[in-house]
Amino acid sequence: MTAPLALRGVTYRYPANQTPALREVSLDVRRGEVMALIGSVGAGASTLLLVAGDLAPRVMGGELTGTVERDGRAALLLPTPWTQLSGMAFSVHDEVAFGPANLGWTRERISASVERALTRVDVAHLRDRDPTTLSGGELQRVIFAGILAMEPDVLLLDEPTAELDPLAARSIWGLIRSLAQGGMAVVVATSDLDALPDMADRVAWLEAGAIRALGPAADVLIDPALEAPAAPGSTAIARVWRVAGLREPPPLTVSQTVERLR
Amino acid sequence: MSETLDLATVTYAYGEHVALRDVSFSLRAGERVALVGHTGAGKSTVMRLITGLLRPTAGTVWVGDWDTSERRPEELAHRVGSLFQHADQQLFARTVREDVAFGPRATGVPAADVASRVTRALAAAGLEAVAEEHPYDLPPPERKLAALAGALALEPSLLVLDEPTAGLDRPARGRVAAALTERAAQGTALLVITHDLDFAAETLDRGLVLDHGRIVHDAPLSDLLALGDGLEALGLIAPPLSRLSTALALPGHPIRAREVASALASVAARNRVS
Repeated sequence: MTAPLALRGVTYRYPANQTPALREVSLDVRRGEVMALIGSVGAGASTLLLVAGDLAPRVMGGELTGTVERDGRAALLLPTPWTQLSGMAFSVHDEVAFGPANLGWTRERISASVERALTRVDVAHLRDRDPTTLSGGELQRVIFAGILAMEPDVLLLDEPTAELDPLAARSIWGLIRSLAQGGMAVVVATSDLDALPDMADRVAWLEAGAIRALGPAADVLIDPALEAPAAPGSTAIARVWRVAGLREPPPLTVSQTVERLR
Repeated sequence: MSETLDLATVTYAYGEHVALRDVSFSLRAGERVALVGHTGAGKSTVMRLITGLLRPTAGTVWVGDWDTSERRPEELAHRVGSLFQHADQQLFARTVREDVAFGPRATGVPAADVASRVTRALAAAGLEAVAEEHPYDLPPPERKLAALAGALALEPSLLVLDEPTAGLDRPARGRVAAALTERAAQGTALLVITHDLDFAAETLDRGLVLDHGRIVHDAPLSDLLALGDGLEALGLIAPPLSRLSTALALPGHPIRAREVASALASVAARNRVS
């Protein structure tokens, strides 16, 4: 079975920028997995999502070498949900229906998909609201619903919990896990490192546009180099274990720590 | 001596909707306080009242000896620095340095002092290298730091900040924490609206919890975070280090990395784990 998304030796430059934002990036994303992209701001995680989602260079311009293979539909959630409104819908329901309507589906299929998406992201109660009156957190979930309604094979998420309070963030992570369980491939750029031991199958660490490490979350997150000043860091638990001067590799979660100290 | 900030039985209603009800609390000089609670609990209303964008329906908001309902927002800016949630979109000058200088200039700081204040604020936010750039050429986290530097340059008696770490990566969060810690050491009281309890635990001391427009907790953050699962009813989740303190029953419920690490080392030594 082919990977729903595969990048081979991808180098990409934004227009009017000499330095490539991505350098020789190769990765396969599998159905049913959550792959997390970590890295400091400017490391290339957002750019990788734009390339994977066919916005760069197609819409943004710039220059790409290497190949991007897609098997199925990819959909992208930007970190700034207010820039992602269609501007053509006066209710949350119509906003969520906008994507599917553009796929040429039947009215019945659109309606079923919209209802399912509104419920999964827990915004069904907002269906009649004007999208421009929503809070940042509500809007982020509505845009997420709009993306799910298109029933993508690959879900590309850029900081999906950035606008959310901790409880809402936890429920979005739970949703991401269950979508992957249902067979979707999920690529998520996040700075919520503490969520990753339980939520990500694999982690790709990007640095200056290149993949510095790629592997199972448990392996990548214990790399001591993550603690360098300009690096994204590991989990809070790993950090405190190291500050305590205890033996490598550090535990990544509370329960692993309790286990280690037994 | 009067408090830096004093809310005396403040009520605020948006029409029929009562957003705050009989809220009272005060901050002393240099105090570092987190204001937390559900979305819609009234946190932003508190911020708008303190910065003079709203006037209380009842009660009084005092900033030092000023009644905020008798002052215009630009007058209050002499004492209150603020960072709103999407502050990175509120920059307007042609360079970061000019933007940071706007506040001190507008509040009548003498020209000779403006330059040194701007230099200090840029250094505190770690922005010296990009001081001459256009704010919109910077990535969003640095724009947010530029807006923070603008508030720091006012050297106000009170800083009110809404989600100062949202959207920031670890190095940028570290810069915010260092800048605020330094500012508080100079006597500025901090009132920080935040969902980022990791950051709050590390940088602030006291927690105020708003729920449905009322203050339901006012306690040291360590005591507040020790509520564990009880925090969820307030829209909060204990951060990992606090959950570790709970899981290992660490004495005194430490929540800061250094304190947790030293407690962890003791447990490891006792259990003969190296």
